[in-house]
Amino acid sequence: MDGIAQSLGVIFSLGGVTVLLVGALLGIVIGALPGLGPSIGLSLLIPFTYTMSPELSMLLMISLYTSAEYGGSISAILLSTPGTAAAAATAIDGYAMAQKGRANEAISISLTASTVGGVLGGLALLLLAMPLAQLALQFGPAGYFAVGLFGLTSVAALSGGSLVKGLIGAAFGLALAMVGIDPIAGTPRFTFGWFELYEGVPFLAALIGLFAVSEAMALAEKHVRGAPAIKGRVGHVFMSMDLWRETWRSMLSGSVIGTLLGILPGVGGNIACWVARDYARARDPRPEEYGKGSANGIAAPEASNNATVGGALVPLLALGVPGSPTTAIMMGALIMHGLHPGPQLFAEAPSLVYAILFGVIIASLVQYLVGSLFLPLMARTVMLPDGVIAAGIMGFAILGAFAIRNLMFDVWLTLAFGAIGYVMKKLDFPVAPVILAMVLGYLIESNYRTALVSSQGDYSIFLTDPVSLLFLVLSLVSVLVPLRRAWRRRALATE
Amino acid sequence: MSTNSHRRGFLKRLAQGAAFAATLATGSLGLAAPAAAEFPEKPVTLVVWSGAGGALDTYGRKLAELLEKEAGWTVKVDNRPGGSGAVGLSQIVTQPADGYQILVLTGTLTFGIAQGLIPFKLEDLRLLRAMQSEPSSLAVLASSPYQNVQQFVDHMKANPNGLKVGGHSSGGFHQYMLYQLMQQGGFESGWIPHDASGKVTLGLLGNHIDAAMMTPSTGLSQVKSGEIRLLGVTTAERSPFLPDAPTFKEQGFDLEGAIWRGIAVKAGTPDDAVAAIQSAIDKVTASAEWKTFQQEQFQDSPDWAEAEFTERVQKDLAEQTEFLKAAGFVQ
Repeated sequence: MDGIAQSLGVIFSLGGVTVLLVGALLGIVIGALPGLGPSIGLSLLIPFTYTMSPELSMLLMISLYTSAEYGGSISAILLSTPGTAAAAATAIDGYAMAQKGRANEAISISLTASTVGGVLGGLALLLLAMPLAQLALQFGPAGYFAVGLFGLTSVAALSGGSLVKGLIGAAFGLALAMVGIDPIAGTPRFTFGWFELYEGVPFLAALIGLFAVSEAMALAEKHVRGAPAIKGRVGHVFMSMDLWRETWRSMLSGSVIGTLLGILPGVGGNIACWVARDYARARDPRPEEYGKGSANGIAAPEASNNATVGGALVPLLALGVPGSPTTAIMMGALIMHGLHPGPQLFAEAPSLVYAILFGVIIASLVQYLVGSLFLPLMARTVMLPDGVIAAGIMGFAILGAFAIRNLMFDVWLTLAFGAIGYVMKKLDFPVAPVILAMVLGYLIESNYRTALVSSQGDYSIFLTDPVSLLFLVLSLVSVLVPLRRAWRRRALATE
Repeated sequence: MSTNSHRRGFLKRLAQGAAFAATLATGSLGLAAPAAAEFPEKPVTLVVWSGAGGALDTYGRKLAELLEKEAGWTVKVDNRPGGSGAVGLSQIVTQPADGYQILVLTGTLTFGIAQGLIPFKLEDLRLLRAMQSEPSSLAVLASSPYQNVQQFVDHMKANPNGLKVGGHSSGGFHQYMLYQLMQQGGFESGWIPHDASGKVTLGLLGNHIDAAMMTPSTGLSQVKSGEIRLLGVTTAERSPFLPDAPTFKEQGFDLEGAIWRGIAVKAGTPDDAVAAIQSAIDKVTASAEWKTFQQEQFQDSPDWAEAEFTERVQKDLAEQTEFLKAAGFVQ
């Protein structure tokens, strides 16, 4: 009890409020810049946290982490340039909505959903950390493989008009995921001798290239042709009652999916956003709206990527094992203070643990406050001339590409992906399946092979492992249900 | 960032100038004279060959902080991840050999070279100091029937590949330690690689592997609570951090090894610059803050200087190349 009172005392002290506000402000900006995500943001903070108390340094980091997950959606909506990997799913419907002059509304949905997701993920962390950690332990390599496969079934939902084109995109993404050091044999493959490719094709280079650079090229072309600019209304941040009624279910399902996938190391927000969008679409009475500016297509992924923050902290606090690169940096910061995360921390430093637990929830609320101040300014960017936006996107894209590893190699790679993305746009190929398959390819392959190594080549491990079996069945359902629906529709049409 | 460090450099030089003037005034010129030509005359860059936030980065940043505090240097940390370290290494090799670019690296260097992943040679570097090291250990859950290394070895002898054994990375340090144990114990075992050390702990706790070769600090909170039992640690003597965990040596297995973290500069760096770096490192390692840091991080302090460090690394490279050939990782 003392720990709770002390932690609230720290959170609502002058220092606590200051670091929460500063973290939210930095997080939104860092999240919105393509290439700079929460993990880069936190690593930039590390030197400043040395001199702070552990409680304040954790609050600062959590606030930045949370707000960066939201910030990524701003550029995704306004510029079709996801600022973070976890905002890639938001770009599809968010940008479509902004193009209809509803940028203000799209951002307010994203901000609201992010806040709801953050609070629910935080509540799950506060109340269910131990049982959730036990759940995470049930996942072996076979289980991770099946989760990855399940994620891949959402390709159909991302394919827009043509499933074939979606599958081609996914195959391209999977092929890219094969580049790099073989996860089992340890030898490089498909790298053409470039050691820059040993860790694989940098995912962010593909993300920035396919989404941002290609969009900049398309915008520049539009500008040259003199297409009419978008007129948008800039209003307040609050969502209308109708919008709440329309989106609350996807916010809820997105939050649950985000929390659950967030606790799995190596899964997290980059995958949760796609699964949440797919889940919401499958249960929507109007699935055809997705891709054309559906409010749920923003609410579901945005709620899920913020909910992963609470989820990712579960293994860190309950087991002392970081669940994501971002939480690994937080662990490093705690170790710098001589503290070792894990269950014993509840006894050793209760006020710190409660500051983290309450911090996630309160940081989400602070993010709403800071985000709403930013919104009118942000919503105006769409009204800039296309040429200006194109130049701006290009500048930030190259900055982001260089920031990945400070290598010019990554910049050239990003530009090459931009050219590929531009051609894909012209030929009406969706880019989202490429990104999704790249995210999942490594997870699927490495766990598939690890599972077989541990079963000494016995394929039945995928059926005897209960988690794996569950997700394989779910994958089958998610492929068959739309097929049955399509078949029924066809049968009705021919009658 | 860089303007900031330049400004700090400028201020520092201003302060040095003032100190020089002060010594002139007091007439003790003879002592202050070499200050003008002393290394470093400009900010030094620590090139960390991994991304921000990991154990190597934590070490690199602490080193930078203490070099500024204890030796009065101006230091910039530059993370250059990629290519199993090749990206960071190539940055050092392509810069002048003047000591202003110091590489912060780990013992995976020799595995990288042996596997052909790092296209450089040991002779491209001067290995200056190993400052941290962490052993491997054979770990099982508390509920496991094995109480010591011998029981584990006996079981594996009677049931080849009978237990699922795994650890961090494929063809790396921990698998190499298991390989040596296999040679000595005369048993067969597979290896289940994990791509992050945290996942090894999770795999053990979730019963997805039966035994792990891992750094004790990876599962620290479980080791301390007794949920994970360490059957053997690859240090010569029991670690002061884990006085209850027995070594392999005391159980009759000649298994010793550790993954080091240290610093290197480009080959051909002049001796006076190296001497200046070494004396700055001496100041760091002598400081109370460094000692506390090492203790909090559960790090041993090998403190091998250039000659010993180089000799050990050459020996590692030869032995690991042999292991990788025998295990089928390289031809």
